[in-house]
Amino acid sequence: MANNLTAELTQHLNSRHLYPAAAWLQSFVSGTRPNTPLPALKQTALFRLLATDLTTSLQPPSHTVFPQDVLNPRTQTRIIAGPIVCQVLDIEDIGLSRWAQVEQIEAKERGETTKGREIVRVVEDEHDGGTVAPAVHSRGPFKLLLQDAKGAKIYAIDLRGIQGVNTDMAMGAKLLLRNTDVRRAVAMIEPANVQILGGKMDALDKAWREGKKERLMNAAKISGEAGNG
Amino acid sequence: MARILCVAEKPSIAKAVANHLGGQVRAENVRGIQWVKNYKFDYDFQRWGQSSVTFTCVAGHIQAQDFQDRYRKWHSCPPSDLFDAPIVTQIAEDKKVVASNIEAQARYNTILFIWTDCDREGEHIGTEIRDIALKANPNMQVWRARFSNIERAHIIQAARTPIQLDEAQANAVSARIELDLRLGAAFTRMQTLSLQQMLPQQGEQKKVISYGSCQFPTLGFVVDRYLRVRNFVPEPFWYIRVGHEKDGINVKFSWRRGHLFDRMAVIIIYERCLLSKHAKVTKTQKKPTKKWKPLPLTTVELQKMGSRFLRMTSQEVMKVAEDLYTKGWISYPRTETDQFDKDMDLRKMVERQEQDNRWGAFATGLMNGGFNQPRNGRNNDKAHPPIHPVNYVNPSQLNDNEKRVYEFVVRRFLACCSEDAVGEATDIEIDYGGEDFHVHGLTVIERNYLDVYPYDKWESSQNLPRYTVGEMFEPKEATMCDGQTTAPGYLTEPELIALMDANGIGTDATMAEHIAKIKEREYVVARPKGGGGGAGHQGAAERGVGRGRGRGRGGRGGRGGAAAQNGAGGTGGVQEFIPTTLGVALIEGYDNVGFETSLSKPFLRKEMEVQMRAICEGRSTRRDVVQQNLEQYRAVFLRTQQQINVLKDAIRKYVGGANQG
Repeated sequence: MANNLTAELTQHLNSRHLYPAAAWLQSFVSGTRPNTPLPALKQTALFRLLATDLTTSLQPPSHTVFPQDVLNPRTQTRIIAGPIVCQVLDIEDIGLSRWAQVEQIEAKERGETTKGREIVRVVEDEHDGGTVAPAVHSRGPFKLLLQDAKGAKIYAIDLRGIQGVNTDMAMGAKLLLRNTDVRRAVAMIEPANVQILGGKMDALDKAWREGKKERLMNAAKISGEAGNG
Repeated sequence: MARILCVAEKPSIAKAVANHLGGQVRAENVRGIQWVKNYKFDYDFQRWGQSSVTFTCVAGHIQAQDFQDRYRKWHSCPPSDLFDAPIVTQIAEDKKVVASNIEAQARYNTILFIWTDCDREGEHIGTEIRDIALKANPNMQVWRARFSNIERAHIIQAARTPIQLDEAQANAVSARIELDLRLGAAFTRMQTLSLQQMLPQQGEQKKVISYGSCQFPTLGFVVDRYLRVRNFVPEPFWYIRVGHEKDGINVKFSWRRGHLFDRMAVIIIYERCLLSKHAKVTKTQKKPTKKWKPLPLTTVELQKMGSRFLRMTSQEVMKVAEDLYTKGWISYPRTETDQFDKDMDLRKMVERQEQDNRWGAFATGLMNGGFNQPRNGRNNDKAHPPIHPVNYVNPSQLNDNEKRVYEFVVRRFLACCSEDAVGEATDIEIDYGGEDFHVHGLTVIERNYLDVYPYDKWESSQNLPRYTVGEMFEPKEATMCDGQTTAPGYLTEPELIALMDANGIGTDATMAEHIAKIKEREYVVARPKGGGGGAGHQGAAERGVGRGRGRGRGGRGGRGGAAAQNGAGGTGGVQEFIPTTLGVALIEGYDNVGFETSLSKPFLRKEMEVQMRAICEGRSTRRDVVQQNLEQYRAVFLRTQQQINVLKDAIRKYVGGANQG
């Protein structure tokens, strides 16, 4: 019965290009209650797997991870068929200066984004175009740091805008990449080639959010100095 | 024959209206006060027939509110008592003669006809006059004139159609007066008593740290911007430019993305562009475009434009506009309305401008078929039309400031009655390496209103060559460039006015006063934008400091307030504001006590402003509004008192070690 269940679950997950490690699957199965219906188990298994760190929970066939030479910066362009499963470790809005993002976070901390407590800080001025850029919502483009099941990390850039990819997305969310154009060791991700499987790594996500403002402040200062030098 | 007592809000209005109605009028002196005259004449009011008229005036508010004696001294009670200490209303010390003149006149007359300015303050002053007159002569009938400029025909019309005083508006003012007094006094005493000894002392006089519920949010905007400027971190960015030459024209396409803050990303994109070699035209569009003529002029707009183009502070602009109104050249300058009533004969006012040698020809053009009904904005205060010229005045009769303001009002008005500027916009878009680049061209075809309104700019760009969709070409150049973000500027006066307006601080008519106030209190200094050294602002300590009487009406026009005469002096160009260390310390201190309801934030005051409106519209009562606001501010007061050390820390941080130990 357990074998049967394991097979069912394996098949279910594989059909989503997820290849769980035997140990992970075993531990999952041993934790299930006997009378749970199969469809519910399948769902739970998927949910749990998406919440794990892929580098430990998967036993990936080679086509679902990046090739070893993917980070060669001399490669102008290559298409990687995949589908590759990876998790999001970081995302940055590169359309907005980091300092502007810091200011947005601070306005939020001051409660200025709460309904009824908004403060107008910038007024459109047709005469001199306003001296202060209005606080636009994070619109990208975005630069992400992805990690495959073997632990390889690669930058990815989303230039076209992908539903669900933005600075509010959960860290540790799992993506499926198909036919990805990798240029100079950077994956150019496009709506047609990305499937968001969902999920989240709680600890990572929490730490990422808490450290966000400080990271942005430091990055702004460093890049500002580099720009001046 | 009916005997009618008319009372205006200030001497100049009394004189002007009396002369319009009476022709040759006899001016009688009033004992003990040289600038009030009683003008005597006969006039046939339609309603009361041929009447004997006495036309006199007051000078702003006649009554003054203050706490009962035993609360008046600084150490007489805990400041928190001032939230509900009894208030007495009396004739102000310096208005006793004005009041007794009205009393005396009331005894001889049967009808009281009030000619105060038609706004909330004017309505309240009207009720003050009424109360004094009725006390002396309880049988008087009371009427009020409705007028919005001092042009003869308009005044005669107003004399013909008296209305009733609007009690609701007077109540709103009365609520505001009480709140300003209580809150101003309570917070001013509390913060002064707790913080004063921490400040460096200048001479013998100890500094009062005054509070006003409009001043603080106004200061808050200045401090917020200042901190943004100070904290700003510049960052590099990168972008791509594409150039192409066609038909002998160099076309520069700019990147749709503007610029990005990641060098690696831009390099990759740039390389992709270069590799793709060819660009493809994806869109060409030529379409008619317009630059809209301006909306009819409101007070806020006048102040903003004034400090931007007329080299005057908003307060100076208002003062000058007030004078021009009193002399009958322009309409009432305190208005929120940006739509002209359909029935107004605007052509007649255009016609009067035909004689001018600067814009006369333009006015003639409007009279000869160029006239267009002005656009309608969204605001109508139902009291006054937008600011517009009433009569023509030769520039030789005006001083420099008056000339500039009058010229602006006239040009704005003529622009409103003209036509939008017309042009043709050309947009071309290309796809190059998967990225969008575009170029925008403009050809101005008809300048129309721009000819009379130099304050707007709209100019043709270079001509663009003809492209067709689908056309492929090889760009002449594609370059990757870099740049750097720059800090915003310090808050300028027009920006501050716009922020106050957008956040509901003060009414259009009082914004300039609040700005002047925070300068006077030495919470901010003003200097010409981009200029170096701070402008001289030794705001001498002012009478009445410490009561936190936001704004009486003394200084408004008239002779009542001597202070109104000398403006801040010749200022060149737009002013920008920088907070003093004390200004920063106060705002940071209150923010640290509690962001949500910090006095530096506009919400509390904004709500108060909204409730004033509710009183005017009969949706709320004076009593409810006063109670509700006192409760809200009391909560902030108590919290501040409990956490006074937070405030002290901020003072210590910025104002530093003076007078310690």
